Amino acid sequence: MSGTKQGFWAIARREIVRMQSRPLYGLSMIFAPLFCFLFFTTLMGEGLPQSLPAGVVDEDNTSVSRSILRNLDSYQQTEIIKQYSNFAEAREALQKNEIYGFFYIPKGTQEKASSQQQPKISIYTNGTYLIPSSLLYRDMKTMAVMASAAVGREILYAKGANLDQAMGFLQPIQMDMHPLGNPWLNYNVYLSNTILPAVLALMILMVTCFSIHTELKDGTAGEWMSMADDNVLKAVSAKLFPQTMLFSLMALIYLVLLYGWLGFPHHNGFWPMFVAAELLILASQGFAVFIASAIPSLRWSLSLCTLWGVLSIPISGFSFPVMGMPDALQALSYMFPLRYYFLIYVDQALNGISLVYSAWFYVILILFTIMPLIDIHMLRKAAHEYTYLE
Amino acid sequence: MWVKDMLDVSGKELRACLQDVGVMVFFIIVPLLYPLLYAYLYSHEVVHEVPVVVVDECRSATSREFLRKSDATADLKIISYCADMEEARNLMHRHKAYGLIHIPAEFEKTLASGHQATINLYCDMSGLLYYKAMLSGCTIVSLDMNRDIQMQRLSGMSDWEKDVMTMPIENEYVTMFNPANGFQAFLIPAILILLLQQTLVLGVSMLAGTEAERRRAGTLILGHEYDNPITVLGGKAMAYLLVYGFTATYVLCFVPWLFGMPQLWQLPTLVAFIIPFLLSSIFFAMCISFFVRDRESCFLLFVFVSVPLIFMSGISWPSSNMPTFWKVLAQIFPSTHGINGFARINTSGALLQDVRIESLSLWVLTGIYFMLSLFIYERMYRSDKMPGAEFVLAMRARARRNIRVAARDIKETSQELIETGKRIQKIRRYKKGRKGN
Repeated sequence: MSGTKQGFWAIARREIVRMQSRPLYGLSMIFAPLFCFLFFTTLMGEGLPQSLPAGVVDEDNTSVSRSILRNLDSYQQTEIIKQYSNFAEAREALQKNEIYGFFYIPKGTQEKASSQQQPKISIYTNGTYLIPSSLLYRDMKTMAVMASAAVGREILYAKGANLDQAMGFLQPIQMDMHPLGNPWLNYNVYLSNTILPAVLALMILMVTCFSIHTELKDGTAGEWMSMADDNVLKAVSAKLFPQTMLFSLMALIYLVLLYGWLGFPHHNGFWPMFVAAELLILASQGFAVFIASAIPSLRWSLSLCTLWGVLSIPISGFSFPVMGMPDALQALSYMFPLRYYFLIYVDQALNGISLVYSAWFYVILILFTIMPLIDIHMLRKAAHEYTYLE
Repeated sequence: MWVKDMLDVSGKELRACLQDVGVMVFFIIVPLLYPLLYAYLYSHEVVHEVPVVVVDECRSATSREFLRKSDATADLKIISYCADMEEARNLMHRHKAYGLIHIPAEFEKTLASGHQATINLYCDMSGLLYYKAMLSGCTIVSLDMNRDIQMQRLSGMSDWEKDVMTMPIENEYVTMFNPANGFQAFLIPAILILLLQQTLVLGVSMLAGTEAERRRAGTLILGHEYDNPITVLGGKAMAYLLVYGFTATYVLCFVPWLFGMPQLWQLPTLVAFIIPFLLSSIFFAMCISFFVRDRESCFLLFVFVSVPLIFMSGISWPSSNMPTFWKVLAQIFPSTHGINGFARINTSGALLQDVRIESLSLWVLTGIYFMLSLFIYERMYRSDKMPGAEFVLAMRARARRNIRVAARDIKETSQELIETGKRIQKIRRYKKGRKGN
């Protein structure tokens, strides 16, 4: 191509022009990540859901049952919004999603309790909504145990025992739970720390693959290659460089948002996470180039990149642990860059342990980055003899 | 006849879908395989046997009993007894263990003296399920042991303590509609519904993108049946609905059955609910597809939306605790209502009247998106602003110019004819005059 400038910077400049020429790039590289950053961090702004709507069926309606209910309402996470007259009504409310759970106190609870017949109170939660269901259960269970203990404690007090002695009898062994790194059980910490980079990685995989293959589809690949003197490595790295910069800016935004603005745990400071995010970007780009070179069809390679990006969210194991998955998928989880980012985050931000423990994860992310070296020569071939496949 | 036109459009669209491998991937292959992958991923429902390490500084019969019983629960598995905290921590740092049970040296002594003895639990918070497993495993064991200890103390003790023992109120826990209280029964219904909406959006957008590309290339000429927007939209919707009738049956009925998930739906309710869901998703997809300019951009534009959409439905983070803005925004997506309705119909056996709010919302969305797509189609088609319209526009301009030229030619020719006629008359008159003279 006579008249066209050659070299790394010329290709990078050309890429910037290409990116500006279509709103698609702006939407997918800037809008999509920013929208998700904002969405997830504000969605779970409460950290741990408070005042979950719950109901109660008090068929007993005695001093004991009323004291149970009073206590339950004083829990921060539970809010009794309605009292139902019978079980069927409460179940219907549960099905209509008005409440996430209810407490059932059958008739004769107090009477049975005082006549030593061990009455039973029941806790019902809607397992369709797992998080509110589990949280309500915790409150209600504590309450039920406390209600039982309260009756016993009153008697022990009456017999002259002090608090220490009473508790020593009622609950000889007690548990002291220490949730490491996230003592508030904050869901925002638990989920946003991985979902934000996951969305970014998804967009990187797709944009990288798309931008390379559009060159082939639009027939501009020849020009692109000749600008790099037919050096495919140079062509690809120069083309992706402006994208890397833009994605780095996005990564910086979410890092500042999470660890600066929201003050999420980052026990080893900013840098280990910054490096991890940068490597995640490069690893995702590397993986996408690998796929784009291996599969000479825009749609198929884009499909695979998309699948990888979407699948990396559940398979990285931040919501459902990898150890709970079937063996085949456990093995597959090693093939996802996000998995290693997640492990680094756990070590460096959440638990704040020595970098030595995470060194391998950083190295593997670098290996993902250089993965295209295996098959990038195929991209060069494709650039010269390509036919678009719908 | 508009009915015939509609069927024509429908047939053409159906043929376009079937002939397009890319679209078929979205309409058939992805719905076929993706749910299987997800259901397989969560098939164990919960985590069992979470590896934990132990530091037992007490080394008494009671502490050993506690550990033995913890190890026996389904939740926990003790992988190592460590000499000190340092060793235990090291195992946790190397991701060999996700929890640490620490029994202090004075445990047995405190217990014997009638005070409350404490066991410390440390839990890795990289997954909340580790926390849940550890808490529930140890709580079960401690409640069990507490009862035994109380019983031991009661034997040969005074009456007042026996009084206390006979008093407690029992409690039971029922997690309705999700027997294992696991991930699969909770997340899969949501994923299935979202999958239907998203594959529709992607497939329809790909069809629209291809159409736009062909218009630009000038290889697509639409027949007269494309003049009436109602027949076009109705015809296309019919084609998609036909395909998705099969897809939805497979995804919503077969997949949960295959994995033995709760399926409490009743057929009339399910059908009556899924139809408005599919219709609203179809028109929603069409509305968006008008803005797609080429085949592959749908990936970049719509795939990521799935991630926020699943959260907007309130299936994970409770909708009662969502900021109002997101709660309102969530209403415009069919998936929000679809997930909430289907989850309850499928998992908790709700009837149509129990999900009437969701069902009504879906009909309203169907109406809104139908009108909106009508409006957009009308404007784009009539004003030639449809993607790829440049070609159509050019053709029409050329035609108009030709007509103008033709008209001018005709006018000129006719004028010429008239003038010639006049001249002939003039000559005749002149000849007549000469004869008369």
